[in-house]
Amino acid sequence: MSIAEMLANLEDEAVMAEVKKQISDGVEPMKIFEACQEGMNIVGKKFQDGEYFVSDLMMSSAIFKDVSDVIKPLLGTEGEATIGKVVLGTVEGDIHDIGKDLVHAMLSAGNFEVIDVGIDAPVDAFVNALKENPDAKVLALSCLLTTCYDSLKATVEAVKEAGLTDVKIMIGGGPVDQSVVDFSGADTYGETAQDAVFIAKELM
Amino acid sequence: MIFIGEKINGTRSIIKDAIIERNSEYIKSIAVSQAESGADYIDINAGTDPDRETEDLLWLIDMVQSVVDTPICIDSSTPGAIKEAIKKVNKTPMINSINGDPKRLEDFLPFIKEKNCSVIALALDESKSGMPKTVEERLTVLESIFKATRKIGIDDDKIYIDPLIMSVATDQSAGIVAFDCIRQIHEAYPKAHITGGLSNISFGLPNRALINRTFLTLAVAAGMDSAVVNPSNTALIESLYATELLLGRDKFCRKYTVASKNGFTVKK
Repeated sequence: MSIAEMLANLEDEAVMAEVKKQISDGVEPMKIFEACQEGMNIVGKKFQDGEYFVSDLMMSSAIFKDVSDVIKPLLGTEGEATIGKVVLGTVEGDIHDIGKDLVHAMLSAGNFEVIDVGIDAPVDAFVNALKENPDAKVLALSCLLTTCYDSLKATVEAVKEAGLTDVKIMIGGGPVDQSVVDFSGADTYGETAQDAVFIAKELM
Repeated sequence: MIFIGEKINGTRSIIKDAIIERNSEYIKSIAVSQAESGADYIDINAGTDPDRETEDLLWLIDMVQSVVDTPICIDSSTPGAIKEAIKKVNKTPMINSINGDPKRLEDFLPFIKEKNCSVIALALDESKSGMPKTVEERLTVLESIFKATRKIGIDDDKIYIDPLIMSVATDQSAGIVAFDCIRQIHEAYPKAHITGGLSNISFGLPNRALINRTFLTLAVAAGMDSAVVNPSNTALIESLYATELLLGRDKFCRKYTVASKNGFTVKK
């Protein structure tokens, strides 16, 4: 069985054993890393198809993190090369973390570098993170409470007022739909954690 | 067991549509079915955009009160909406919710005391960031809440503590933390009630109803005496009857046997 298949089947010990074996066999680390990413894509698809559950998704991201910790140091400068940086957080007034954490896991597995400013994050936290990371071209905002749409809008406005006009903003969370995109002035929205990866790639 | 009927919640799309369309017959039918199933309170959460929430909340209260006498549980995170709703209700309501945020306590407690309301108290402090992770964090927040409620003269039995049940799919200790928490809260505040929604625990997992009712059984054994539920959920209600029976709280098993004859459909 390939590494991708093992990861897709959530066989944590087998994945790690195979990764270590291939490293000692002299397989190119980048090849191994890509196999792991392929496995994560299969997991994401299984989740979308209803075959996998949230706990499976969490497990896959734990496996991916463990193998990344082993492989990344071997990648050298190549390992630094992510697709791009995303600043992520749940807007002020909202303390929901599960959706945001899933998006974080999926983006990391999709080879994005994620700057996570946490939950109930004030406007400034997002603006500062974007200023400190001028190469971050995507901002991902999570919001599950309808009562926090104002906070969502305030965050989008603050980012624009700060002159960060080339930053694309994607939003997500239970009740978020196109009307919330229109209300807040964000660029687009996603329905699932897996969506976040595709959308972030499009926005780059 | 004190049931708070959870179904009239505008964050559910079917209810949201009914609110927007002013579908009074649908809202009324949900109110009646929850009341007939033995809800002690009917939770009303408009869940709509802030600029129309108060108006929607008041409309929902009117609809519910036009068909049932069951007290209302006013569910909103907007203080202004809650205060308007309190003026509208016929019976002493429950307020959903306060938390350890000192400003919110200062704003609400005199009001709750004056109206003699029951109130759901979340074991978190909104003015400090984040969900509490440990049992200790929750107990620390509750300490400050009870200090404030006792100071103003609100009896402990008016307080319904929500220990904040998390998702076991994302954190496998969520069940144990909840039971530990319930046990310790029950010990520290024996007169206060312990309540909470059940749906968080099973988030993202298959057969959620099974997890929810098994959780409720264990939580009741730990000291939970109220829940925010769909009271028409027969599978949940019947397992609750069995739980009370097994905990020695059902003399001659009468409640269980009578309910059994009625198909466990009506609580009272």
